[in-house]
Amino acid sequence: MSTAAINPKGPRVYPAGQSPRAWADTYLASTVGQKILVGTTGLLLVGFLIGHMVGNLKMFSSPESINKYAYFLKHDLGALIWVARGGLLALFVTHLVLALRLRLAARAARPVPYRVMKTAQATLQAKTMLWTGVVILAFTVYHLLHFTLGLVHPASAAAPDDYLTQRVNLQQAERNLSPGSAVNYLDLKDDAGRHDVYAMVVAGFRTPYISAIYLVCQVLLLVHLSHGIQSSLQTLGLVGKRFTPAAVALGWAVAGTIFVGNVAIVAAVWAGYVK
Amino acid sequence: MKFTLHIWRQANRTAPGRMETHAIDGITGDMSFLEMIDLLNEKLLREGKEAIAFDHDCREGICGSCSMMIDGQAHGPERGAATCQLHMRSFADGADIIVEPWRVGAFPVIRDLSVDRGAFDRIIQSGGYVSVNTGGTPDGNALPVPKPHQERAMDAAECIGCGACAAACPNASAMLFVSAKVGHLGALPQGQAERSERAKNMVAAHDREGFGHCTFYGECEAACPKSISTEYITQLNSDYLASAAKAVVKG
Ligand code: HEM
Ligand code: FES
Repeated sequence: MSTAAINPKGPRVYPAGQSPRAWADTYLASTVGQKILVGTTGLLLVGFLIGHMVGNLKMFSSPESINKYAYFLKHDLGALIWVARGGLLALFVTHLVLALRLRLAARAARPVPYRVMKTAQATLQAKTMLWTGVVILAFTVYHLLHFTLGLVHPASAAAPDDYLTQRVNLQQAERNLSPGSAVNYLDLKDDAGRHDVYAMVVAGFRTPYISAIYLVCQVLLLVHLSHGIQSSLQTLGLVGKRFTPAAVALGWAVAGTIFVGNVAIVAAVWAGYVK
Repeated sequence: MKFTLHIWRQANRTAPGRMETHAIDGITGDMSFLEMIDLLNEKLLREGKEAIAFDHDCREGICGSCSMMIDGQAHGPERGAATCQLHMRSFADGADIIVEPWRVGAFPVIRDLSVDRGAFDRIIQSGGYVSVNTGGTPDGNALPVPKPHQERAMDAAECIGCGACAAACPNASAMLFVSAKVGHLGALPQGQAERSERAKNMVAAHDREGFGHCTFYGECEAACPKSISTEYITQLNSDYLASAAKAVVKG
Protein backbone atom coordinates (compact mmCIF):
# COMPACT_ATOMS: atom_id res chain seq x y z
CA MET A 1 0.00 0.00 0.00
CA SER A 2 2.49 2.51 1.18
CA THR A 3 5.19 1.72 -1.38
CA ALA A 4 2.86 2.16 -4.35
CA ALA A 5 4.19 4.46 -7.02
CA ILE A 6 2.49 7.83 -6.99
CA ASN A 7 3.43 8.59 -10.59
CA PRO A 8 3.35 5.28 -12.46
CA LYS A 9 5.85 6.56 -15.01
CA GLY A 10 8.19 8.22 -12.56
CA PRO A 11 10.50 6.76 -9.94
CA ARG A 12 8.98 4.92 -7.03
CA VAL A 13 8.13 7.35 -4.25
CA TYR A 14 8.24 6.18 -0.69
CA PRO A 15 6.30 7.91 2.05
CA ALA A 16 8.50 9.31 4.82
CA GLY A 17 9.82 6.63 7.12
CA GLN A 18 9.25 3.79 4.69
CA SER A 19 12.06 4.10 2.21
CA PRO A 20 14.69 1.37 1.97
CA ARG A 21 17.02 3.85 3.61
CA ALA A 22 14.68 4.24 6.58
CA TRP A 23 14.39 0.46 6.77
CA ALA A 24 18.15 0.07 6.90
CA ASP A 25 18.48 2.85 9.47
CA THR A 26 15.92 1.16 11.68
CA TYR A 27 16.80 -2.48 11.35
CA LEU A 28 20.45 -2.63 10.36
CA ALA A 29 21.74 0.24 12.47
CA SER A 30 20.27 -0.99 15.76
CA THR A 31 22.42 -2.97 18.19
CA VAL A 32 20.53 -6.13 17.28
CA GLY A 33 20.78 -5.42 13.53
CA GLN A 34 24.50 -4.68 13.69
CA LYS A 35 25.08 -7.78 15.76
CA ILE A 36 23.16 -9.88 13.27
CA LEU A 37 25.43 -8.51 10.53
CA VAL A 38 28.53 -9.30 12.60
CA GLY A 39 27.22 -12.83 13.11
CA THR A 40 26.23 -13.38 9.47
CA THR A 41 29.49 -12.05 8.05
CA GLY A 42 31.37 -14.09 10.67
CA LEU A 43 29.59 -17.28 9.62
CA LEU A 44 30.22 -16.56 5.93
CA LEU A 45 33.90 -16.05 6.73
CA VAL A 46 33.84 -19.38 8.55
CA GLY A 47 32.46 -20.89 5.34
CA PHE A 48 35.40 -19.41 3.45
CA LEU A 49 37.85 -20.74 6.04
CA ILE A 50 36.46 -24.26 5.66
CA GLY A 51 36.83 -24.10 1.88
CA HIS A 52 40.30 -22.62 2.20
CA MET A 53 41.39 -25.30 4.66
CA VAL A 54 40.08 -28.13 2.48
CA GLY A 55 41.92 -26.65 -0.51
CA ASN A 56 45.10 -26.42 1.56
CA LEU A 57 44.89 -30.14 2.30
CA LYS A 58 45.92 -30.74 -1.30
CA MET A 59 49.41 -30.24 0.12
CA PHE A 60 49.10 -33.83 1.30
CA SER A 61 48.28 -35.13 -2.12
CA SER A 62 51.05 -33.97 -4.46
CA PRO A 63 52.79 -30.82 -5.69
CA GLU A 64 50.90 -31.33 -8.93
CA SER A 65 47.57 -31.34 -7.16
CA ILE A 66 47.94 -28.11 -5.19
CA ASN A 67 49.71 -26.28 -7.99
CA LYS A 68 46.95 -27.11 -10.41
CA TYR A 69 44.34 -26.01 -7.89
CA ALA A 70 46.14 -22.72 -7.29
CA TYR A 71 46.48 -22.20 -11.03
CA PHE A 72 42.78 -22.79 -11.42
CA LEU A 73 41.96 -20.19 -8.76
CA LYS A 74 44.35 -17.58 -10.10
CA HIS A 75 44.04 -18.00 -13.86
CA ASP A 76 41.10 -20.14 -14.89
CA LEU A 77 38.59 -18.24 -12.84
CA GLY A 78 39.42 -15.07 -14.71
CA ALA A 79 37.60 -12.05 -13.38
CA LEU A 80 35.68 -14.21 -10.95
CA ILE A 81 38.68 -14.31 -8.65
CA TRP A 82 38.32 -10.57 -8.26
CA VAL A 83 34.64 -10.96 -7.48
CA ALA A 84 35.53 -13.51 -4.81
CA ARG A 85 38.31 -11.33 -3.42
CA GLY A 86 36.06 -8.29 -3.35
CA GLY A 87 33.33 -10.26 -1.60
CA LEU A 88 35.73 -11.57 1.01
CA LEU A 89 37.12 -8.12 1.63
CA ALA A 90 33.62 -6.73 2.03
CA LEU A 91 32.70 -9.47 4.52
CA PHE A 92 35.88 -8.97 6.46
CA VAL A 93 35.59 -5.19 6.59
CA THR A 94 31.89 -5.28 7.50
CA HIS A 95 32.57 -7.79 10.24
CA LEU A 96 35.35 -5.93 11.91
CA VAL A 97 34.01 -2.41 11.46
CA LEU A 98 30.63 -3.32 12.97
CA ALA A 99 32.21 -5.41 15.73
CA LEU A 100 34.47 -2.51 16.67
CA ARG A 101 31.59 -0.02 16.50
CA LEU A 102 29.50 -2.16 18.81
CA ARG A 103 32.39 -2.50 21.21
CA LEU A 104 32.97 1.25 21.28
CA ALA A 105 29.28 1.87 21.91
CA ALA A 106 29.31 -0.75 24.67
CA ARG A 107 32.25 0.97 26.29
CA ALA A 108 30.38 4.27 26.18
CA ALA A 109 27.36 2.56 27.75
CA ARG A 110 29.28 2.27 31.03
CA PRO A 111 31.02 5.61 31.47
CA VAL A 112 31.94 5.01 35.12
CA PRO A 113 33.58 1.62 35.60
CA TYR A 114 33.06 -0.63 38.61
CA ARG A 115 35.76 -0.84 41.25
CA VAL A 116 35.28 -4.60 41.19
CA MET A 117 33.40 -6.56 38.61
CA LYS A 118 33.33 -10.33 38.66
CA THR A 119 31.97 -12.47 35.91
CA ALA A 120 29.89 -15.50 36.80
CA GLN A 121 29.77 -17.54 33.64
CA ALA A 122 31.24 -15.57 30.73
CA THR A 123 33.86 -17.71 29.02
CA LEU A 124 37.40 -16.58 28.39
CA GLN A 125 36.75 -16.95 24.65
CA ALA A 126 33.82 -14.52 24.85
CA LYS A 127 35.78 -12.01 26.87
CA THR A 128 38.71 -12.01 24.46
CA MET A 129 36.78 -11.72 21.16
CA LEU A 130 38.13 -8.25 20.49
CA TRP A 131 41.77 -9.20 21.06
CA THR A 132 41.66 -12.50 19.21
CA GLY A 133 39.94 -10.58 16.39
CA VAL A 134 42.67 -7.93 16.28
CA VAL A 135 45.35 -10.64 16.08
CA ILE A 136 43.41 -12.38 13.27
CA LEU A 137 43.36 -9.09 11.38
CA ALA A 138 47.11 -8.67 11.79
CA PHE A 139 47.66 -12.29 10.84
CA THR A 140 45.53 -11.95 7.71
CA VAL A 141 47.68 -9.05 6.55
CA TYR A 142 50.83 -11.03 7.33
CA HIS A 143 49.52 -14.11 5.55
CA LEU A 144 48.80 -12.10 2.41
CA LEU A 145 52.23 -10.45 2.50
CA HIS A 146 53.78 -13.86 3.01
CA PHE A 147 52.12 -16.15 0.47
CA THR A 148 50.18 -13.90 -1.87
CA LEU A 149 52.74 -11.15 -2.32
CA GLY A 150 55.90 -13.08 -1.38
CA LEU A 151 57.33 -10.14 0.53
CA VAL A 152 58.16 -11.71 3.87
CA HIS A 153 60.88 -14.16 3.23
CA PRO A 154 62.58 -15.83 0.21
CA ALA A 155 62.93 -19.54 -0.50
CA SER A 156 66.36 -21.03 -0.20
CA ALA A 157 67.68 -24.50 -0.78
CA ALA A 158 67.93 -26.73 2.24
CA ALA A 159 68.54 -30.46 2.34
CA PRO A 160 70.21 -31.69 -0.85
CA ASP A 161 68.00 -33.30 -3.43
CA ASP A 162 64.61 -32.67 -1.93
CA TYR A 163 61.81 -31.12 -3.95
CA LEU A 164 62.24 -27.60 -2.70
CA THR A 165 66.01 -27.66 -3.31
CA GLN A 166 65.46 -28.82 -6.86
CA ARG A 167 63.02 -26.00 -7.51
CA VAL A 168 65.33 -23.40 -6.02
CA ASN A 169 68.32 -24.71 -7.95
CA LEU A 170 66.32 -24.65 -11.14
CA GLN A 171 65.54 -20.99 -10.70
CA GLN A 172 69.14 -20.20 -9.78
CA ALA A 173 70.27 -21.81 -13.02
CA GLU A 174 67.59 -20.12 -15.06
CA ARG A 175 68.36 -16.71 -13.70
CA ASN A 176 72.13 -17.11 -13.50
CA LEU A 177 72.09 -16.56 -9.78
CA SER A 178 75.03 -17.66 -7.71
CA PRO A 179 74.43 -21.03 -6.04
CA GLY A 180 73.06 -20.63 -2.53
CA SER A 181 71.23 -17.40 -3.26
CA ALA A 182 67.58 -17.18 -2.36
CA VAL A 183 64.64 -17.11 -4.74
CA ASN A 184 61.39 -15.19 -4.35
CA TYR A 185 58.38 -17.36 -3.53
CA LEU A 186 56.52 -16.19 -6.58
CA ASP A 187 59.37 -17.18 -8.94
CA LEU A 188 59.25 -20.85 -7.99
CA LYS A 189 57.91 -22.82 -10.95
CA ASP A 190 56.95 -26.45 -11.32
CA ASP A 191 57.62 -28.64 -14.37
CA ALA A 192 54.46 -27.46 -16.07
CA GLY A 193 55.61 -23.87 -15.67
CA ARG A 194 52.97 -23.07 -13.07
CA HIS A 195 53.68 -21.16 -9.89
CA ASP A 196 54.97 -23.80 -7.47
CA VAL A 197 52.76 -23.30 -4.47
CA TYR A 198 53.87 -26.57 -2.98
CA ALA A 199 57.54 -25.57 -2.82
CA MET A 200 56.55 -22.14 -1.51
CA VAL A 201 54.58 -23.59 1.40
CA VAL A 202 57.37 -25.99 2.27
CA ALA A 203 59.85 -23.11 2.19
CA GLY A 204 57.55 -21.06 4.41
CA PHE A 205 56.93 -23.60 7.11
CA ARG A 206 60.50 -24.83 7.27
CA THR A 207 61.28 -21.48 8.84
CA PRO A 208 60.71 -21.89 12.58
CA TYR A 209 59.54 -18.36 13.38
CA ILE A 210 57.03 -18.38 10.55
CA SER A 211 55.61 -21.72 11.66
CA ALA A 212 55.36 -20.38 15.19
CA ILE A 213 53.40 -17.34 14.01
CA TYR A 214 51.01 -19.55 12.07
CA LEU A 215 50.51 -21.93 14.98
CA VAL A 216 49.81 -19.18 17.51
CA CYS A 217 47.39 -17.43 15.18
CA GLN A 218 45.55 -20.66 14.45
CA VAL A 219 45.10 -21.15 18.19
CA LEU A 220 43.66 -17.64 18.48
CA LEU A 221 41.38 -18.27 15.51
CA LEU A 222 40.16 -21.41 17.26
CA VAL A 223 39.41 -19.37 20.36
CA HIS A 224 37.60 -16.64 18.36
CA LEU A 225 35.46 -19.16 16.54
CA SER A 226 34.69 -21.35 19.54
CA HIS A 227 32.63 -18.45 20.89
CA GLY A 228 31.79 -16.85 17.55
CA ILE A 229 30.03 -19.75 15.91
CA GLN A 230 27.72 -20.61 18.78
CA SER A 231 27.10 -16.95 19.58
CA SER A 232 26.11 -16.15 16.01
CA LEU A 233 23.69 -19.06 15.94
CA GLN A 234 22.05 -17.49 19.00
CA THR A 235 22.28 -14.00 17.52
CA LEU A 236 20.43 -15.23 14.45
CA GLY A 237 17.73 -16.68 16.66
CA LEU A 238 18.42 -20.20 15.47
CA VAL A 239 19.00 -22.03 18.74
CA GLY A 240 17.06 -21.85 21.98
CA LYS A 241 17.98 -23.18 25.39
CA ARG A 242 17.68 -26.82 24.41
CA PHE A 243 20.00 -26.58 21.44
CA THR A 244 22.54 -24.13 22.84
CA PRO A 245 24.81 -26.96 24.07
CA ALA A 246 24.60 -28.46 20.59
CA ALA A 247 25.53 -25.07 19.09
CA VAL A 248 28.50 -24.84 21.45
CA ALA A 249 29.59 -28.34 20.43
CA LEU A 250 29.13 -27.49 16.76
CA GLY A 251 31.20 -24.35 17.24
CA TRP A 252 34.07 -26.31 18.73
CA ALA A 253 33.76 -29.01 16.09
CA VAL A 254 33.87 -26.59 13.15
CA ALA A 255 36.55 -24.39 14.69
CA GLY A 256 38.49 -27.52 15.67
CA THR A 257 38.31 -28.93 12.16
CA ILE A 258 39.65 -25.71 10.66
CA PHE A 259 42.39 -25.69 13.28
CA VAL A 260 43.42 -29.32 12.80
CA GLY A 261 43.38 -29.09 9.01
CA ASN A 262 45.56 -25.98 8.87
CA VAL A 263 47.91 -26.96 11.65
CA ALA A 264 48.40 -30.42 10.10
CA ILE A 265 50.16 -28.78 7.15
CA VAL A 266 52.53 -26.80 9.33
CA ALA A 267 53.21 -29.86 11.47
CA ALA A 268 53.71 -32.12 8.44
CA VAL A 269 56.29 -29.78 6.94
CA TRP A 270 58.06 -29.63 10.26
CA ALA A 271 58.02 -33.36 10.74
CA GLY A 272 59.42 -33.76 7.23
CA TYR A 273 56.34 -35.67 6.11
CA VAL A 274 55.56 -33.03 3.50
CA LYS A 275 58.82 -32.17 1.74
CA MET B 1 29.20 -11.58 62.46
CA LYS B 2 31.36 -8.58 61.60
CA PHE B 3 32.00 -6.99 58.28
CA THR B 4 33.97 -4.14 56.78
CA LEU B 5 31.83 -2.42 54.18
CA HIS B 6 33.23 -0.27 51.40
CA ILE B 7 30.26 1.68 50.11
CA TRP B 8 29.91 4.18 47.28
CA ARG B 9 28.80 7.63 48.45
CA GLN B 10 27.65 10.28 46.05
CA ALA B 11 25.70 13.36 47.10
CA ASN B 12 23.73 13.86 43.89
CA ARG B 13 23.69 13.15 40.17
CA THR B 14 26.56 15.43 39.34
CA ALA B 15 28.75 15.31 42.44
CA PRO B 16 31.85 13.15 42.21
CA GLY B 17 31.49 10.04 44.34
CA ARG B 18 33.94 8.12 46.51
CA MET B 19 34.18 4.89 48.43
CA GLU B 20 33.58 5.09 52.18
CA THR B 21 34.56 2.41 54.68
CA HIS B 22 32.41 1.38 57.64
CA ALA B 23 32.86 -1.41 60.17
CA ILE B 24 29.75 -3.16 61.37
CA ASP B 25 29.27 -5.70 64.12
CA GLY B 26 26.42 -7.71 65.60
CA ILE B 27 25.12 -9.10 62.30
CA THR B 28 23.52 -12.55 62.26
CA GLY B 29 23.62 -14.91 59.31
CA ASP B 30 19.84 -14.77 58.98
CA MET B 31 19.77 -11.03 58.35
CA SER B 32 19.35 -9.87 54.79
CA PHE B 33 21.87 -7.59 53.16
CA LEU B 34 19.41 -4.71 53.39
CA GLU B 35 18.84 -5.31 57.11
CA MET B 36 22.57 -5.00 57.62
CA ILE B 37 22.55 -1.66 55.79
CA ASP B 38 19.57 -0.60 57.97
CA LEU B 39 21.66 -1.29 61.06
CA LEU B 40 24.56 0.62 59.60
CA ASN B 41 22.28 3.56 58.80
CA GLU B 42 20.91 3.62 62.35
CA LYS B 43 24.45 3.72 63.62
CA LEU B 44 25.34 6.52 61.20
CA LEU B 45 22.28 8.52 62.28
CA ARG B 46 23.16 8.07 65.96
CA GLU B 47 26.59 9.44 65.15
CA GLY B 48 24.95 12.40 63.45
CA LYS B 49 26.07 11.35 59.97
CA GLU B 50 24.18 11.09 56.73
CA ALA B 51 22.47 7.73 56.17
CA ILE B 52 23.30 5.75 53.04
CA ALA B 53 20.61 6.16 50.40
CA PHE B 54 19.47 2.92 48.76
CA ASP B 55 16.32 1.76 47.02
CA HIS B 56 14.09 -0.89 48.53
CA ASP B 57 10.41 -1.53 48.82
CA CYS B 58 8.97 -5.04 49.03
CA ARG B 59 11.99 -6.75 50.59
CA GLU B 60 10.74 -10.04 49.23
CA GLY B 61 12.20 -10.07 45.76
CA ILE B 62 9.23 -8.83 43.76
CA CYS B 63 9.56 -5.08 43.31
CA GLY B 64 13.04 -4.97 41.82
CA SER B 65 14.16 -1.79 43.56
CA CYS B 66 17.06 -3.06 45.67
CA SER B 67 19.81 -2.47 43.13
CA MET B 68 23.30 -3.08 44.50
CA MET B 69 26.50 -4.36 42.99
CA ILE B 70 27.97 -6.42 45.81
CA ASP B 71 31.58 -7.58 45.54
CA GLY B 72 31.42 -7.14 41.80
CA GLN B 73 28.22 -9.14 41.34
CA ALA B 74 24.75 -7.72 40.77
CA HIS B 75 22.58 -8.62 43.79
CA GLY B 76 25.59 -10.36 45.33
CA PRO B 77 26.86 -13.90 45.19
CA GLU B 78 23.59 -15.79 45.56
CA ARG B 79 21.95 -16.94 42.31
CA GLY B 80 18.30 -16.27 41.66
CA ALA B 81 17.99 -13.80 44.53
CA ALA B 82 17.61 -10.04 44.80
CA THR B 83 19.70 -8.08 47.32
CA CYS B 84 16.80 -8.12 49.77
CA GLN B 85 16.82 -11.94 49.63
CA LEU B 86 20.55 -12.23 50.10
CA HIS B 87 21.44 -13.56 53.53
CA MET B 88 24.53 -12.50 55.37
CA ARG B 89 25.42 -16.17 55.85
CA SER B 90 26.50 -16.06 52.20
CA PHE B 91 29.56 -14.11 53.36
CA ALA B 92 32.49 -15.21 55.50
CA ASP B 93 32.59 -13.62 58.95
CA GLY B 94 34.95 -10.64 58.95
CA ALA B 95 34.82 -10.25 55.18
CA ASP B 96 35.40 -7.00 53.32
CA ILE B 97 32.39 -6.26 51.13
CA ILE B 98 32.36 -3.74 48.32
CA VAL B 99 29.00 -2.15 47.52
CA GLU B 100 28.47 -0.03 44.43
CA PRO B 101 25.43 1.29 42.57
CA TRP B 102 24.53 -0.08 39.13
CA ARG B 103 27.08 1.41 36.77
CA VAL B 104 25.27 1.90 33.51
CA GLY B 105 25.18 5.21 31.67
CA ALA B 106 21.44 4.85 31.16
CA PHE B 107 20.93 4.51 34.95
CA PRO B 108 22.29 7.75 36.42
CA VAL B 109 23.12 7.66 40.12
CA ILE B 110 20.63 9.74 42.09
CA ARG B 111 22.38 9.43 45.41
CA ASP B 112 24.73 6.83 46.94
CA LEU B 113 23.40 3.44 45.87
CA SER B 114 20.16 4.69 44.40
CA VAL B 115 19.94 4.92 40.60
CA ASP B 116 17.31 6.21 38.19
CA ARG B 117 15.91 3.27 36.25
CA GLY B 118 13.50 5.44 34.27
CA ALA B 119 15.12 4.15 31.08
CA PHE B 120 13.27 0.86 31.65
CA ASP B 121 9.94 2.67 31.96
CA ARG B 122 10.56 4.37 28.63
CA ILE B 123 11.42 1.04 27.02
CA ILE B 124 8.15 -0.42 28.33
CA GLN B 125 6.25 2.59 27.02
CA SER B 126 7.64 1.89 23.57
CA GLY B 127 5.99 -1.53 23.28
CA GLY B 128 5.77 -3.53 26.49
CA TYR B 129 1.98 -3.70 26.41
CA VAL B 130 -0.96 -5.13 24.48
CA SER B 131 -3.69 -2.86 23.15
CA VAL B 132 -7.07 -4.29 24.12
CA ASN B 133 -10.50 -2.81 24.61
CA THR B 134 -11.42 -2.99 28.24
CA GLY B 135 -14.94 -3.85 29.33
CA GLY B 136 -16.55 -6.59 31.31
CA THR B 137 -14.48 -9.48 32.60
CA PRO B 138 -13.76 -11.75 29.63
CA ASP B 139 -14.89 -15.34 29.79
CA GLY B 140 -12.06 -17.37 31.27
CA ASN B 141 -11.99 -19.92 28.49
CA ALA B 142 -12.73 -17.63 25.57
CA LEU B 143 -9.08 -17.47 24.60
CA PRO B 144 -7.37 -20.84 24.96
CA VAL B 145 -3.65 -20.65 25.79
CA PRO B 146 -1.66 -23.87 25.46
CA LYS B 147 0.14 -24.82 28.66
CA PRO B 148 3.69 -24.60 27.21
CA HIS B 149 2.96 -21.10 25.86
CA GLN B 150 1.55 -20.02 29.16
CA GLU B 151 4.63 -21.34 30.97
CA ARG B 152 6.94 -19.63 28.54
CA ALA B 153 5.07 -16.37 29.07
CA MET B 154 5.12 -16.72 32.86
CA ASP B 155 8.84 -17.51 32.97
CA ALA B 156 9.51 -14.25 31.14
CA ALA B 157 6.86 -12.32 33.09
CA GLU B 158 8.85 -13.02 36.24
CA CYS B 159 11.12 -10.11 35.25
CA ILE B 160 10.91 -7.46 37.95
CA GLY B 161 12.78 -4.81 35.97
CA CYS B 162 15.53 -4.47 38.55
CA GLY B 163 18.25 -3.68 36.00
CA ALA B 164 20.69 -6.36 37.19
CA CYS B 165 21.03 -7.65 33.61
CA ALA B 166 22.39 -4.34 32.38
CA ALA B 167 24.42 -3.84 35.56
CA ALA B 168 26.12 -7.24 35.21
CA CYS B 169 26.60 -7.16 31.44
CA PRO B 170 30.16 -6.32 30.37
CA ASN B 171 28.54 -4.40 27.48
CA ALA B 172 25.94 -2.75 29.75
CA SER B 173 23.23 -4.25 27.56
CA ALA B 174 19.65 -4.49 28.79
CA MET B 175 18.73 -7.02 26.13
CA LEU B 176 17.59 -9.58 28.71
CA PHE B 177 15.05 -7.09 30.03
CA VAL B 178 13.78 -6.22 26.55
CA SER B 179 13.66 -9.88 25.57
CA ALA B 180 11.74 -10.85 28.71
CA LYS B 181 9.01 -8.35 27.84
CA VAL B 182 8.95 -9.28 24.16
CA GLY B 183 9.07 -12.99 25.06
CA HIS B 184 6.32 -12.69 27.63
CA LEU B 185 3.80 -10.95 25.37
CA GLY B 186 4.94 -12.79 22.25
CA ALA B 187 4.11 -16.15 23.83
CA LEU B 188 0.46 -15.24 24.33
CA PRO B 189 -2.35 -14.85 21.79
CA GLN B 190 -3.09 -11.31 23.04
CA GLY B 191 0.43 -10.27 22.11
CA GLN B 192 0.41 -11.38 18.48
CA ALA B 193 -1.14 -8.31 16.84
CA GLU B 194 1.66 -6.00 17.92
CA ARG B 195 4.43 -8.60 17.94
CA SER B 196 6.57 -7.34 15.11
CA GLU B 197 6.18 -3.64 15.93
CA ARG B 198 6.98 -4.44 19.54
CA ALA B 199 10.31 -6.09 18.73
CA LYS B 200 11.29 -3.18 16.49
CA ASN B 201 10.19 -0.40 18.84
CA MET B 202 11.53 -1.87 22.05
CA VAL B 203 14.96 -2.52 20.54
CA ALA B 204 14.98 1.04 19.18
CA ALA B 205 14.04 2.40 22.63
CA HIS B 206 16.73 0.25 24.23
CA ASP B 207 19.35 1.70 21.89
CA ARG B 208 18.10 5.27 22.39
CA GLU B 209 18.70 4.94 26.10
CA GLY B 210 22.34 4.13 25.35
CA PHE B 211 22.58 0.50 26.47
CA GLY B 212 25.14 -1.75 24.76
CA HIS B 213 24.68 -4.80 22.55
CA CYS B 214 24.40 -8.49 23.43
CA THR B 215 27.42 -10.78 22.97
CA PHE B 216 25.92 -13.81 24.75
CA TYR B 217 28.32 -13.64 27.65
CA GLY B 218 25.47 -15.00 29.78
CA GLU B 219 26.25 -12.68 32.70
CA CYS B 220 22.70 -11.28 32.73
CA GLU B 221 21.20 -14.72 33.16
CA ALA B 222 23.53 -15.41 36.08
CA ALA B 223 22.73 -12.08 37.76
CA CYS B 224 18.97 -12.15 37.18
CA PRO B 225 17.13 -12.60 40.50
CA LYS B 226 14.46 -14.45 38.52
CA SER B 227 16.97 -16.54 36.56
CA ILE B 228 15.48 -15.52 33.22
CA SER B 229 17.25 -17.35 30.43
CA THR B 230 19.15 -15.79 27.52
CA GLU B 231 16.93 -18.00 25.40
CA TYR B 232 14.53 -15.05 25.37
CA ILE B 233 17.21 -12.95 23.69
CA THR B 234 17.44 -15.57 20.95
CA GLN B 235 13.67 -15.35 20.62
CA LEU B 236 13.80 -11.54 20.53
CA ASN B 237 16.35 -11.68 17.72
CA SER B 238 14.21 -14.01 15.68
CA ASP B 239 11.18 -11.76 16.24
CA TYR B 240 13.37 -8.87 15.16
CA LEU B 241 14.40 -10.64 11.96
CA ALA B 242 10.77 -11.52 11.26
CA SER B 243 9.84 -7.89 11.84
CA ALA B 244 12.53 -6.71 9.41
CA ALA B 245 11.36 -9.21 6.78
CA LYS B 246 7.76 -8.18 7.25
CA ALA B 247 8.69 -4.52 6.83
CA VAL B 248 10.35 -5.36 3.52
CA VAL B 249 7.42 -7.34 2.23
CA LYS B 250 4.61 -5.14 3.48
CA GLY B 251 6.39 -1.80 3.34
C1 HEM C 1 38.56 -14.96 9.45
C2 HEM C 1 38.18 -14.01 10.17
C3 HEM C 1 37.05 -13.97 11.16
C4 HEM C 1 36.02 -14.82 11.39
C5 HEM C 1 35.73 -16.11 10.67
C6 HEM C 1 35.23 -14.27 12.48
C7 HEM C 1 34.09 -14.85 12.99
C8 HEM C 1 33.31 -14.29 13.99
C9 HEM C 1 32.04 -14.77 14.41
C10 HEM C 1 31.32 -15.98 13.86
C11 HEM C 1 31.61 -13.94 15.41
C12 HEM C 1 30.34 -14.08 16.22
C13 HEM C 1 29.32 -13.06 15.92
C14 HEM C 1 28.18 -13.19 16.90
O1 HEM C 1 28.42 -13.37 18.09
O2 HEM C 1 27.04 -13.11 16.47
C15 HEM C 1 32.60 -12.95 15.62
C16 HEM C 1 32.51 -11.94 16.57
C17 HEM C 1 33.45 -10.97 16.72
N1 HEM C 1 34.54 -10.73 15.88
FE1 HEM C 1 35.16 -11.93 14.40
N2 HEM C 1 35.80 -13.10 12.89
C18 HEM C 1 36.91 -12.87 12.10
C19 HEM C 1 37.75 -11.80 12.14
C20 HEM C 1 37.64 -10.77 13.04
C21 HEM C 1 38.47 -9.61 13.04
C22 HEM C 1 39.59 -9.33 12.07
C23 HEM C 1 38.06 -8.85 14.09
C24 HEM C 1 38.55 -7.52 14.62
C25 HEM C 1 39.53 -6.84 14.29
C26 HEM C 1 36.97 -9.52 14.73
C27 HEM C 1 36.31 -9.06 15.84
C28 HEM C 1 35.20 -9.64 16.38
C29 HEM C 1 34.56 -9.17 17.57
C30 HEM C 1 34.99 -7.97 18.42
C31 HEM C 1 33.45 -9.99 17.76
C32 HEM C 1 32.46 -9.91 18.89
C33 HEM C 1 31.38 -8.93 18.59
C34 HEM C 1 30.58 -8.71 19.83
O3 HEM C 1 29.63 -9.46 20.05
O4 HEM C 1 30.90 -7.82 20.61
N3 HEM C 1 36.73 -10.68 14.07
N4 HEM C 1 33.63 -13.17 14.73
S1 FES D 1 13.32 -4.75 47.77
FE1 FES D 1 11.82 -5.45 46.34
S2 FES D 1 13.01 -6.81 45.18
FE2 FES D 1 14.39 -6.31 46.75
